[in-house]
Amino acid sequence: MASAQPAIRVNGVSHQFGEPGEARYVQALLDTSLDVTRGELLCLIGPSGCGKSTLLGIMGGLFAPTTGAVAVAGKPVRGPMPRDLAFVFQESALFPWNTVRENVMLGMTFQGVAKAERGARARRALEAVGLIDFAEHYPGQLSGGMRQRAALARALSLETDILLMDEPFGALDEQTRMVLGEDLSVLLSRSNKTIVFVTHSLGEAVFLADRVAVFSARPGTIKQIIVVDEPHPRKPSFMTAPKFHALRDQLYGLLHDEIRKAMSETTQPRRRYGQTGPAETDGERV
Amino acid sequence: MVTTGELRRLMRHPGFARLGVVILLVVAWEISARFFLDRDFISPPSTVLTSFGELFGTPGVPSALWLTLYEIAIGFALSAIIGAAIGLAVGLNRLAHQSFMPIILLLYGLPQITILPIFVLVFGIGAASKIAFGVSHGMFPIMIAVAAGVQKIEPVYFDSARSMGASRWHLLRYVIFPHMIPSFFTGLRLGMSGVLLGVLLAELYVSTAGIGYFTSIFTQNFDATKLIGLVSVLAAIAIALNEVVRRVELRYARWRD
Amino acid sequence: MNGDGRKNAPHRLSSRLVQVAFLAIVLLAWFLATTRWGVSRILLPNPVNVWHQLIDIVASGAFIPDLRITLGELAGAFAISMSLGVTIGYLISRSRYLIRVFEPLLAAIYAIPIILFLPLYVLLLGLGPASKIALGATISFFPIVLSTIAGFGYVDRRLVTAARSMGANNIQMFRYVLLPAALPVVLAGLRLGFTVALLSVIASETIASFAGLGHHIVDLAENMDTARMFAYIVFVIAIVAFLNAVVSTIEGRARW
Repeated sequence: MASAQPAIRVNGVSHQFGEPGEARYVQALLDTSLDVTRGELLCLIGPSGCGKSTLLGIMGGLFAPTTGAVAVAGKPVRGPMPRDLAFVFQESALFPWNTVRENVMLGMTFQGVAKAERGARARRALEAVGLIDFAEHYPGQLSGGMRQRAALARALSLETDILLMDEPFGALDEQTRMVLGEDLSVLLSRSNKTIVFVTHSLGEAVFLADRVAVFSARPGTIKQIIVVDEPHPRKPSFMTAPKFHALRDQLYGLLHDEIRKAMSETTQPRRRYGQTGPAETDGERV
Repeated sequence: MVTTGELRRLMRHPGFARLGVVILLVVAWEISARFFLDRDFISPPSTVLTSFGELFGTPGVPSALWLTLYEIAIGFALSAIIGAAIGLAVGLNRLAHQSFMPIILLLYGLPQITILPIFVLVFGIGAASKIAFGVSHGMFPIMIAVAAGVQKIEPVYFDSARSMGASRWHLLRYVIFPHMIPSFFTGLRLGMSGVLLGVLLAELYVSTAGIGYFTSIFTQNFDATKLIGLVSVLAAIAIALNEVVRRVELRYARWRD
Repeated sequence: MNGDGRKNAPHRLSSRLVQVAFLAIVLLAWFLATTRWGVSRILLPNPVNVWHQLIDIVASGAFIPDLRITLGELAGAFAISMSLGVTIGYLISRSRYLIRVFEPLLAAIYAIPIILFLPLYVLLLGLGPASKIALGATISFFPIVLSTIAGFGYVDRRLVTAARSMGANNIQMFRYVLLPAALPVVLAGLRLGFTVALLSVIASETIASFAGLGHHIVDLAENMDTARMFAYIVFVIAIVAFLNAVVSTIEGRARW
C-alpha cells in the first residue's frame, strides 16, 4: 500500500455548512483522512447525515472542504476533475430533457471530446451496460434500474480511471440492486477502475467492496475500515457464504450505535452538497 | 357500424351528458327568448346564428374584429419577448431575483384595470393602447414562469454537469435553458389569457372606435341579435386562441417521458 | 448565475438596497420628467401635485359616495356567487359522475374572458349597479364553484374509509372529515372569488357606468384632470389592497 501512489488521498478533511450559531450550521465531517488504493472498490457506509456523501463531493472537487486537502493521482483537487474521475449520482441526475444517447454524449461535449469520437464512445458505453437498444429513449421512459445503467454508461464514456458513486442504487428495489451490483462487480474485474461507492445497505457494501469505511454519526469521521477479501467478479453465492454473514454482522455491530446516535439528533443537513439555490425542505408538511 | 353496447357505453360517457347539458341550456335560451322575454334585450340563438351574415355585413365590424386579432397577436408576441427577457435576467442572477421578484409580483398583483384610462390617455384610442394594455397583462405571468423555470433546478443536475467538466456557458445552454422550456410554455398559456383580457378590456373601454364602438352602438339601438353575435365571435376567438396555446403547452410543457 | 448559499444574509441587505434605489430612481425620473424634461402635464402629472391631490381626496371624504356604490355592488356580487358557487359546487361534488360531467364544462367557461358578457348585461340590466353585480357574480362564481368541487370532491379516500371503519355516520363524516378536509380549498376559492369580483366590479364601472370608484377614474381622465386621476388611482389601489388583505386575514383565521 505504501509503495504505490494512492488513487485518491484525503488528508485531514473537515467540512461544515453555515457558521456556528446559525440555524443551518452543521458540522458534517470532522478531520477525516483516507487513502483510496488504485483498482479497489471502497464503500463508504454510515448513518444518515454522517457526511459520507459530502466526502464524495469533496473528493470529486464539487466543492472545497472547510479544512484539509484532497489529491487525485497526486494532483491537488481544486475543482471538478472530469478527466480523472466521473460521478454516478442517485436516480435524478440524468437530464430528463435529453435522450439516453444525448445524455451520454453531453458529458463528452462538456469535456471537448472530438465530435467524431463521441458517437463511438457512447456506443461502447451503452453496450457495456446493455442499453444500446434504448439509446433513443428518454429517462422518463425507462425503469429506475435502466436509468442507473444509463447514468453508469455516461460515467464510463468519460473513460476516467476513477468512478465516484453516490448511492447509485439507493432508489431501486432490492432485486434490481442485487443484479446491478453483480454487473458492477463484473465490470470492476474487467476494467481495473477505482471506485468509491456510498451506500446505506450493509449487504451491498459487503457484496461489492474490497474495503468498507464505516462512518460515525455526525460530525462524521471514519470509525473503522473493514477488508472484504474476496475476488471480483463476485457471484450471488457469495451472499450465502458464512464469510459474507460474518462481515455483515460485524458491520452492523459497528453501525448500530451510530445509527441510534444519528436518529436522536433533531436536525438534518439541508443540502447534501453545500449546493446553491434555495434550501430544499425535505419531507412533506401536513 | 355502432352496436347497441357501444352506444350504451357512449351514453354513459360524461362527455355525452356534458353535451346534453349544453344543448339543454341552448334550448332553454331559445325558448325563453322566443316566447317569454323582450326581443329588444335578448335574442334567441337561432336568430343570432342566422344573422351572422348581417353582422359581418355591418360596415366596420369585420375590420374591427381583424384589428382586435392583430392587437392580440402583437400583444402576445411582445409579452413573450419582454417576459422571457426580463424573466431570464431576473431568474439567472440571485441578487436580481431577490431584489426584483417582489417588485414584479407586486406589480402583477396590482388592479391594472385602474390604470386603463392612463393607457388610453398616453397611447390614444387606436391599436397602440390596446396592445400596450394587453402586454401589461400578458408579460407578467411569462416573466414569473421563466424566472421560476431557471430557478428551481435540482442541484444534482448542476453537480453532475460540473463533475463532467461543464463550463458556465454549458450550464446555461445544456441545463438551465432546456429546464426552462416547459415553464416558458406554461407562462405562454397564462400570458395568452392575460393578453386576451387586457386587449378586450381596452377594446370595450374605448367606445369611440373598434369593438367598443359597436358594442355601445348595438346596446343603444337595442340590437340584441348583433350584440350577442359580436360577443359570441369574440368569445369564439378567445376560446380558439386559448385552445391553441393549451395544445402547444401540452406538447412542450414537460420533458419527454 | 448561482451565488454561494453561504452569502444569503448579506444578499438580503443588498437586495433591499437595490429595491430602495430602484424606487428612488423611478420617483426621481418621474419628478425630472415633469419638471426638467418637459413631458406634458396632461400625460404625466408632477408627483408633488399628485401627493397633494391624494391628501385632498382622503381628507375631503369626497370618495365616500363612490366607495359606497362600489362596495355595495361588490357585496351583492359576492353574496350571489358565494351562495350559488358553494351550493352548486357541493351538490356536484357528491357524485363522481356529476364531477366528470360539470367540472370540465365549468373550467372551459372560466377560460373565456367573461368581461365579454358586460355589454350583454348592460343591455339587459342597464348602466346602473345591477349590471356590475351580475358581471361580478358571474366572474367570481367560477373560482368558487370549481374550488368547492375540488375541496369536497377530492377528499382523500383513506380518510373517508378510516372514518367509516370507526363507525362515523353521515353527519359525523361531514363534520369531522369532509368539512375540515375541504375547508382550506374552499376558502382559497372564496378569497380568489372575492378578488375577481372586486376587480370586475371596478372594471365594469370603468367601461360602462355612471358611478363608482372605477367610473370616477374615467371621469377624471375625461376632464384631463390627470394629477387628481393619478391620486385617485393610488387611492383605489390602496382600497383594493386593503380589502384583499382583510379577506386573506379572514381566510387565515378561518382555516385553523
